[in-house]
Amino acid sequence: MKIFNKYGFSIGITALLLLVLPACEKNLDEPALNRTFNEEIDYSISDNMVLPLIGVYADFYSRGWETIPLIAVRGDDVNAGGLGDQQPFDATDHYVYDQAYWMYNSLWQLNFNDIYTGKTAIQQIELYREAGASDALADQYIAEVNTLNGFLLFHLSRVWGDMLIPETADPSDLLVAKLSTKQEVMQYISDQMDAAIPHLPTVHPADRTDVPGGVNRYTALAIKAMAEQELGNYQAVADATSEIINSGVYQLEPDFYELFKLKGKLNRENLLELQYSDYGQGSGDANFHLYAFYGPQNWEPAVEGIGGGWGFFEPSLKFIKFMLDRGETVRLETSVLFTDRGIAEIQQDPKYADLPDFVSNTTRDGDVIKDYARALFASGKHYLPSNQITPGRTGYGNNKNYTCIRYAEILLMHAEAILQGASSSAISADQAVNLVRARAGMPNITGATLDDVVNEKFAELATEWGVRYYDLIRWQRYDELSYDGRTFTTDKIYLPYPQAQVDQLPILGDNP
Amino acid sequence: MKLFTKLFLIPLCLLGWGAAQAQETTYTGVVTEEGGEPLIGVNILNMRDASGTITDFDGNFELRANVGDTIMVSYTGYQPVTYVLGATTSLEFELKESAELLEEVVVVGYGSQKSKDLTSSIATIRSEEIEKTPSGQPMQALQGKVAGMQIVSAGSPGDAPKVRIRGVGSYPGSDNEAPLFVVDGMFFDNIDFLNNNDIKSISVLKDASAAAIYGVRAANGVVLVETKSGNYDAPAQITYDGYYGVQRAQNVLKMANAEQFTTMALESGSEADISFIQNAMQRYGRSRINPNVPDVNTDWYDVILRDAPIMNHSINVSGGGTKAAYSVGTSYFMQEGILDMKNEFERFNLRSKVDFKATDWFTIGGNAIISNGKRYLPDNSAWFRAYYAVPIMPVYDEKNTDATPLQLSNAQDLGYRGGQNPLVATEFNQDEQKIRKLLGNFYVQFNLLPDKLTFKSSYNSSYTTINQRNLDFPYFIGNAFQQENSVIQKIDESYLNQIWDNILTYDDSYGNHNLTVMLGSSYRDEAYDQLELRALNFPTDQEAAWFIDQAETLDTDRGNVGDDGRRYYGISYFGRIAYNFDNRYLIYGTYRADGSNKYQEKWGYFPTVGVGWVLSEESFFDIPGVNYLKFRASWGELGNDRIQASDGATTTSVVTTSLDDKQYSGTETSNTFSALRWEVVEETNVGLTSEFARSRLSLEADYYIRNTKNAAIFVPIPVIGQTVLKNVGEIRNSGFELSLNWRNSTSFGLDYSIGGNFATLKNEVVDLYGQEYINGGTAEFRQRSIVGEPLLAFYGWEVAGVYQNQAEIDADPIAVANGLEPGDLRYVDQNGDGVSDDEDRVVLGSYLPSFMFGANLGMSFKGFDLSVNVYGQSGNKILNRRRGEVIFTNDTNMDADLAINRWHGQGTSNTYPSSKGIRKGWNQRLSDFWVDDGAFWRIQNVQLAYNIQGEKVFGPGAPDLRVSFTADRPLSVFDYVGFTAEIPDGVDRQTYPIPAVYTVGLNVKF
Repeated sequence: MKIFNKYGFSIGITALLLLVLPACEKNLDEPALNRTFNEEIDYSISDNMVLPLIGVYADFYSRGWETIPLIAVRGDDVNAGGLGDQQPFDATDHYVYDQAYWMYNSLWQLNFNDIYTGKTAIQQIELYREAGASDALADQYIAEVNTLNGFLLFHLSRVWGDMLIPETADPSDLLVAKLSTKQEVMQYISDQMDAAIPHLPTVHPADRTDVPGGVNRYTALAIKAMAEQELGNYQAVADATSEIINSGVYQLEPDFYELFKLKGKLNRENLLELQYSDYGQGSGDANFHLYAFYGPQNWEPAVEGIGGGWGFFEPSLKFIKFMLDRGETVRLETSVLFTDRGIAEIQQDPKYADLPDFVSNTTRDGDVIKDYARALFASGKHYLPSNQITPGRTGYGNNKNYTCIRYAEILLMHAEAILQGASSSAISADQAVNLVRARAGMPNITGATLDDVVNEKFAELATEWGVRYYDLIRWQRYDELSYDGRTFTTDKIYLPYPQAQVDQLPILGDNP
Repeated sequence: MKLFTKLFLIPLCLLGWGAAQAQETTYTGVVTEEGGEPLIGVNILNMRDASGTITDFDGNFELRANVGDTIMVSYTGYQPVTYVLGATTSLEFELKESAELLEEVVVVGYGSQKSKDLTSSIATIRSEEIEKTPSGQPMQALQGKVAGMQIVSAGSPGDAPKVRIRGVGSYPGSDNEAPLFVVDGMFFDNIDFLNNNDIKSISVLKDASAAAIYGVRAANGVVLVETKSGNYDAPAQITYDGYYGVQRAQNVLKMANAEQFTTMALESGSEADISFIQNAMQRYGRSRINPNVPDVNTDWYDVILRDAPIMNHSINVSGGGTKAAYSVGTSYFMQEGILDMKNEFERFNLRSKVDFKATDWFTIGGNAIISNGKRYLPDNSAWFRAYYAVPIMPVYDEKNTDATPLQLSNAQDLGYRGGQNPLVATEFNQDEQKIRKLLGNFYVQFNLLPDKLTFKSSYNSSYTTINQRNLDFPYFIGNAFQQENSVIQKIDESYLNQIWDNILTYDDSYGNHNLTVMLGSSYRDEAYDQLELRALNFPTDQEAAWFIDQAETLDTDRGNVGDDGRRYYGISYFGRIAYNFDNRYLIYGTYRADGSNKYQEKWGYFPTVGVGWVLSEESFFDIPGVNYLKFRASWGELGNDRIQASDGATTTSVVTTSLDDKQYSGTETSNTFSALRWEVVEETNVGLTSEFARSRLSLEADYYIRNTKNAAIFVPIPVIGQTVLKNVGEIRNSGFELSLNWRNSTSFGLDYSIGGNFATLKNEVVDLYGQEYINGGTAEFRQRSIVGEPLLAFYGWEVAGVYQNQAEIDADPIAVANGLEPGDLRYVDQNGDGVSDDEDRVVLGSYLPSFMFGANLGMSFKGFDLSVNVYGQSGNKILNRRRGEVIFTNDTNMDADLAINRWHGQGTSNTYPSSKGIRKGWNQRLSDFWVDDGAFWRIQNVQLAYNIQGEKVFGPGAPDLRVSFTADRPLSVFDYVGFTAEIPDGVDRQTYPIPAVYTVGLNVKF
């Protein structure tokens, strides 16, 4: 009996073993949890086709704080903001380049990353199209992605010159890609914009209801114009800008000062901007750009408790004197935050002993800019008055949008193209320049010359996206860049490729 | 003494103490070895009352004892003899040499083997050794004790040390390279929940042959942990074991003081830096000693460090009857951290194990461990902040009247970009973890054929919950140095892991043939769930209200609310054959088939074979002095499924953004995905095990080659700065391990042992499947895995010196081309092309030590015993990432070594750049200036103890006492400029310092 029990037991358990375990083997096919596998997405829900597009905008808006300053710092309009912290940033401003500096790599990676996010989004949109979504809408969304990608690639090529063109959605394909010349890249961007333009909406970004603030046909035209301008195809610039002007979609914001404050959000003047928001709430969800980088290191805000900045990105003395010489008012006031130390520095030159009232360490909104060692001035276009910050928020510049392309730049590009020999189908160079000047409270001029446009662009677009630096490069006015102890030479036009990228893509090392 | 006795009398009476004293007789005797030579210093122990004596120079002894007492005659290297005293008072003992160690039973996977039958490399550490180390982490006690096992200490209370067995066979990060821990049959990633007193033994299965039975989990070695169990037919033994001690930071990093810092700033060439010094002098006054220095000199490490207590109390009861054996224990461990904030760890453990022989053919048993821990985590950024906070700023600043709740100083008031004050890390946040673990194990075992065929089915389960509560308290120190809202974050994680094993074992002998066959199956289910919430503005002043419910606003931002889960299944079939012929020829083999749902490829197969030849058992073997000699060789394949599960397809995640001040959701799709399979480790091991000089000297040596194929490596995706894990490499670890132990007794009663072990390690990338190298690290601090070089070697420029004067600059085209000045580093132009660029970079070293050694000394004399352990390593490099931070923020403080040794004029230094230079990109390139030697040696543990045999001193029934003094890691010696040279991955940014621990301990045994 006992023996039977024994074997009965063991046979029973062995049988159980043999039966239960194979039954469990189906568990080996269980997929990973907490993943949405693309193959499981129901692409037949056409309304969801907008989701990958919004994802692309989300990525486009989340720019690293260092990327735009690095694009812009080398011009004679703006300085890095002294030694101390981030010395290679200052060295870059002085045309001493360090290819291992983290900011170079960061700009490169962030722009490329967003380009590839866009490329995969296009694949997703195509899947929705195949599953029955509107053809026209799919074309529009894809065109929007390509417009943003054009903008990102444009800046990469302006900073580094020869560039890799991401043709496919797989970054690994770049391992075998060849390097395209800057001309090829600009031509590629222009072609991409041509392909996108017919599919894009024509209403002002602020009037778009599906993706408020998204790009439109004129954004693509503007990017095309910028690329053609780099190529020196001024007729193409004039054609593109004419179309924008003739559309009547854009107007200059009458109040130049407020254009760079909350009033600038989705302003009629803007063709492309990075959108941020705190949704009017003092706490909770928010998307912000890190403006502290541009802010004064020491200040007494009119609204107590609002944080100051890091003191980088200082408008140059050269720019300030240039503006004073021209008798500029609101544009100078808007572009520069003055410290007492900075004002004293200006006044050291007896020529500027007498300064207009707005040259003060107190802004018109009552924020007092105190002295700090790093710099004499702070950027005014990246400043949001403390009284415009939503109560409850304390970060410098919180809730402020970041303008990328605005109508004033289009007008001045248009004027320049005409003066470079192109013909306009919209307005004359004088008209274009005077529109910009009138808004700034400057008298009209007649018979505008190329020099006039050069100076107007300096006054109007200083500290914005390096427009000034790349203009001087394009015009080969290199002498202007040798200022305040800097010496510019033509071998310094482009930044060296980031070390991390050269390590990975030897083709970049072959073309130093 | 009287008071002492009295104190013990009370509890002892309760336990029923008081046996009658019987009449004593005097016995005399002589002890000899086989062949008649007298043995000197042999222990004669009366088992009844633990009294005893030792033999003299002629092997004679005299002992007073009662008739009927049992005595034990024991001598190192000989088999002990027990004898019941009778009427004969003149005794003679002849001791036989033993191969005692070799008779030991060693735990192997799903069974056990005699040490002498092993063909593989297994090291076993027993409870006495583990209990000597005052640590909340049992593995810490093994540091330096097992050749080939690297333990990297963790200083933070509750943190498990990093364990590496025979190098790194898997790409570091996400703990892929950790060994498997098996606690009484259950799989764990570490054993941080166990108390040192819970453990009976820890066996380290080092080579493939030993570990392969664990198949897909075994690639990084296996650590088997046996908790304490009772013995059948043994009286109850109650043991109290405890210690109390204090921890003190060692090798505290010396920072530049105010004067040195001021000098550095003045030499920096940066107006801003100089002005900050001026600001500090205006704000805090000038030093009376040197009026050009601010009157503040804060040593921030001194501010954030403290001495911290540590203690442990444990009680264990074990015993058994004819049918049942039991072991029950409880322990309480408490440790505060040396970081001066709410930083501590306490753990309460309960454990019980019962085995019951239900009938003569089946046994059932169960084992439960409950571990209840609570941790307050350090804010490790404090270490880093203390490094860079300037010394010219006080801790508190009376002038900063707006600051609340503490008047902390703000470096922004001096002009610096950041507020710097490290106390924001230690004062305004608190991270609490409640770690509860329940380990249960139940088995039933059938003896199908008595002593031959057994079947064992066991179910193991471990349930872990980790409830984390992270709090940020509001503070205001300056407009740009404030935390406006208080934040409460809760993260609840739970793990339920289950293993069901079924094992059939057949054990038999026919003449000289000895055979063991084991067949088994195992089913594994691992489930993980996590939920995370965050809210703003909770009532900070009432701890009882620290709940999400009490907070003003729920923070529903994506990324702050989370929900995650994983579920892995595994099914395995395995078997083992161990055969020996006449104890001379050994053959061993295992095979395991593993199925898993982690990867797209479901099944993996892992075989191993081993052979052994016991030369000393051969009839022709006759070398005097050699007691035992065995040669071993083994080969096996192992798997590693610690690498993350692969998605196998692209995935989509949700993102949000604002469009026209409204929130919109969108999706983002990954553009690459992982398609992984398990890594396969192939290992060959040859070794020998031997004993000499009457088994007093033992020597074990091993050489191994371990290749990891399909190594999963993070491959950078071009241009976008992301990586994807791919099976693209082959990594080889090889090394030689040797351990040597000598133990002996002397005629005057001194027993001693001396041991040493060392291991070499060569880590090498053998193949990257066509690529020459794969980048690791970051762009600024490049590490690179190059074929033929160690994994993730530091990769940069080699420093040739420092430009001393303008003439040297002018003479060097590289210096001219890069606009260098005296005080800048000169790099070796490796390719001699007259240009210093990325082509001139070379391998600067590996973070893995190439040589590790341990040594121990043990002595006992009368009631005293002393043990000393030493541990050291060399051949590894450390990236001084703290210094390297100057790349990102270069107006902060630096260590005194740098400040003192900086170049500041011709001839002042040929290795350190100038103060100005260190802020320049040129000198910030990753060069061997930033990569330091990580060699160190350390006195690991010193313990002095005095043992009191209770019955002898206090009379029958009194407990045995042991009082001990321990200094753990009291002295570390290294050149590296940092708190510790033990840096897990070689990159030292904010490593928690390793404190020295001094304790007093008491052990009471009833």
